[in-house]
Amino acid sequence: MTDVMDEQRFATIANLWNSRAKGLILEMDLKIEQADKNGVQIRMPFNPDFCLDEEGTMLHGGVLTALLDSAFGLANFLAIDDVQTMATLDLRVDYLRPAKSRADVMVFADCYRQTRHIAFGSGKIWFDTGNKEEVARGSATFALTRGNGGSLLDKMKTTGPGS
Amino acid sequence: MNIIELQTRCDRVPFFRFLGISILETDETHLLAKMPFEERFIGNPVLDTYHGGIIASFMETIASLSVLDDVNAAPVKPINLAVDYLRPGFAGTLTTRATISRKGRRMASVETLAWLEDESKPVAKGLFHFLLV
Repeated sequence: MTDVMDEQRFATIANLWNSRAKGLILEMDLKIEQADKNGVQIRMPFNPDFCLDEEGTMLHGGVLTALLDSAFGLANFLAIDDVQTMATLDLRVDYLRPAKSRADVMVFADCYRQTRHIAFGSGKIWFDTGNKEEVARGSATFALTRGNGGSLLDKMKTTGPGS
Repeated sequence: MNIIELQTRCDRVPFFRFLGISILETDETHLLAKMPFEERFIGNPVLDTYHGGIIASFMETIASLSVLDDVNAAPVKPINLAVDYLRPGFAGTLTTRATISRKGRRMASVETLAWLEDESKPVAKGLFHFLLV
């Protein structure tokens, strides 16, 4: 029973995240492939605007950082039931290989520990080319406020584009 | 480095055009630049604040330019970064100063600070390492 309710909650959050997307999330054209308590997997298509060269052979590292940050946000949202607000405290990224591919960029992120005030996240990035070699790895901490009234989910439902 | 030449170099990079970076000042150890707010930079759809990844990207860009030997030098390779988010990045022009902490033959370490209106109330602080070879 709980599993079914959880699944519905995950689907609601993922749908909201997609439908209320604006700004950079929209620009990155993200597609959620997995979204549950164990983490999120998101796909980002190649975008020449995010490249370092006109020929579009290499992505700027900052795009990978932005992708990790986005994935951490969704992962927290899913893993923390009563999250009211969350703010990124810090973000650390190691660039393991040059981001030299036109394949879709894949990111996996999870919230691996949460306390009353803090959430800890870790994530990795690879290109969808089959070999799954990590291009970047990141971790982040978030400051949380929790509560039942006026959760972030409710705010997402009532604000955003078109409201 | 000459500001106009550096700006011309920036304007050739698709992602720097996406960010809309303007170089303001430069000397041996510093680089100052600004980035006006755009709708596409929003991260939090409730508060309409900057996406943390955009702030980090802006700081990384300015840090990477600050360590170039000259305006025609090959781009440096980012190794890693750490960003502290200190205040919400509300809509407004963001300014970043990159300060070179150490530049050796192979490695450089650069500190950055980003603020909206008041440098004494920074939005974020960054630390970036680059491979120069």
